[in-house]
Amino acid sequence: MKSFLSFLIAIKVISSNLFAAEAGMPQLDPTYWASQAFWLILVFTILYISISKFYLPKIRENLDNRENKIKEDLEFAYKFKEKSEAKLKEYELILENAKKEVSKIHFESKNNLDKDIQSKKEKIEKEIEKEILEAQKKITELKKNSISSIQIISENIASNIIENLSGDKLNESSVKASVEEITKKNIGKYL
Amino acid sequence: MASNPMQQFTVHRIGPEIKIAGVDLSFTNASLFMVISTSLILLFLYLGSKEKKIIPNKIQLIAEMFFTFVAKMISDTAGSKAKPYFPFIFSLFIFVLFCNMIGMLPYSFTVTSHIIVTLIMALFIFIAVTIIGFVKHGFKYLSIFVPSGVPTVLLPLITIIEIISYLSRPVSLSVRLFANMMAGHTMLKVFGGFVVSLGILGGWLPLSFSVALTGLEILVAFLQAYVFAILTCIYLNDALNLHH
Repeated sequence: MKSFLSFLIAIKVISSNLFAAEAGMPQLDPTYWASQAFWLILVFTILYISISKFYLPKIRENLDNRENKIKEDLEFAYKFKEKSEAKLKEYELILENAKKEVSKIHFESKNNLDKDIQSKKEKIEKEIEKEILEAQKKITELKKNSISSIQIISENIASNIIENLSGDKLNESSVKASVEEITKKNIGKYL
Repeated sequence: MASNPMQQFTVHRIGPEIKIAGVDLSFTNASLFMVISTSLILLFLYLGSKEKKIIPNKIQLIAEMFFTFVAKMISDTAGSKAKPYFPFIFSLFIFVLFCNMIGMLPYSFTVTSHIIVTLIMALFIFIAVTIIGFVKHGFKYLSIFVPSGVPTVLLPLITIIEIISYLSRPVSLSVRLFANMMAGHTMLKVFGGFVVSLGILGGWLPLSFSVALTGLEILVAFLQAYVFAILTCIYLNDALNLHH
């Protein structure tokens, strides 16, 4: 507060001094008006001519160049973008085709394999059936053979048993006939 | 000892006296600072347009910013018809701006703080704009004094007011710049004088004012150059695009 008051007082003192010392505005003294006008016109003319003839065209050219360059670059970038997009499409097409081909090959090979397996299976099955039939034939033959030999054996056994039991010699043909009869009756049980 | 704050505006001769046909055209400190400003502008523009780089360096960028700034100002206020006057507006703007800014340096001289300098520029603009108006539109240019949509009773009065306002254009244009520059520099000088006379104890307050005022004055220096240029554009617009 004290310093502010002293400041105010100082302002008062100084300003009164200042205005006492003031001798008017030098701007209104016409001594050098002509000189100022002359030099202003001279200097400004030089400035105007050099600016309009040299510097502004240069700066404008610079700005235009930059604008053109930017435009060109943008165009290039756009072209490259289009190209890359086309390439991408191509690539995608190739990829798709490859995928199709892969699935096709996959399908075909699967079919072939299936067919192969099927045919082989059939062949083997046929062979197996044939062999089974042959084996069955053999078995039936063996059975038949064994039956006839069994008949002979049983005839012998039967005649021997009867001989031993009765002590008589039997007529071979009657034994044979009775064995045959029994065999015929019971053959179903053994076959 | 506080020196006279108006002393900074005195013009004195440098070198020999040059008299042509009885008129004193001596080289003065005002002429010196005009030459300095112009040299600096030309140097700046030379450096700014020397290298034609796609990516500009700092000084080139600033020069190009000046260019686009003025170009935009003209196209916004005066339209595309004002394109031929672009170099003139650009020179005017950059000259006033550099004179104002160089005037902000201590011990320098502010060219634009002299009424004769600003008046010559304003008068030149006024006369040129009037000639352009008459060349472009003939006597139809006088219709600038007769605004449309005014009741007939008021028309004579309005016309007189319009004529007065048109004729006062050079005065307002020149006095605005001159008064702003002179007032600002006087204030700076007065506060600078306070700093000295109040000494180490009381000088801090006016010193801080002085610092703030310097910032303000730099703003004013730019603003007045801008106002001077944009008013020129507006006057040019009136002359080029007569709308009534």
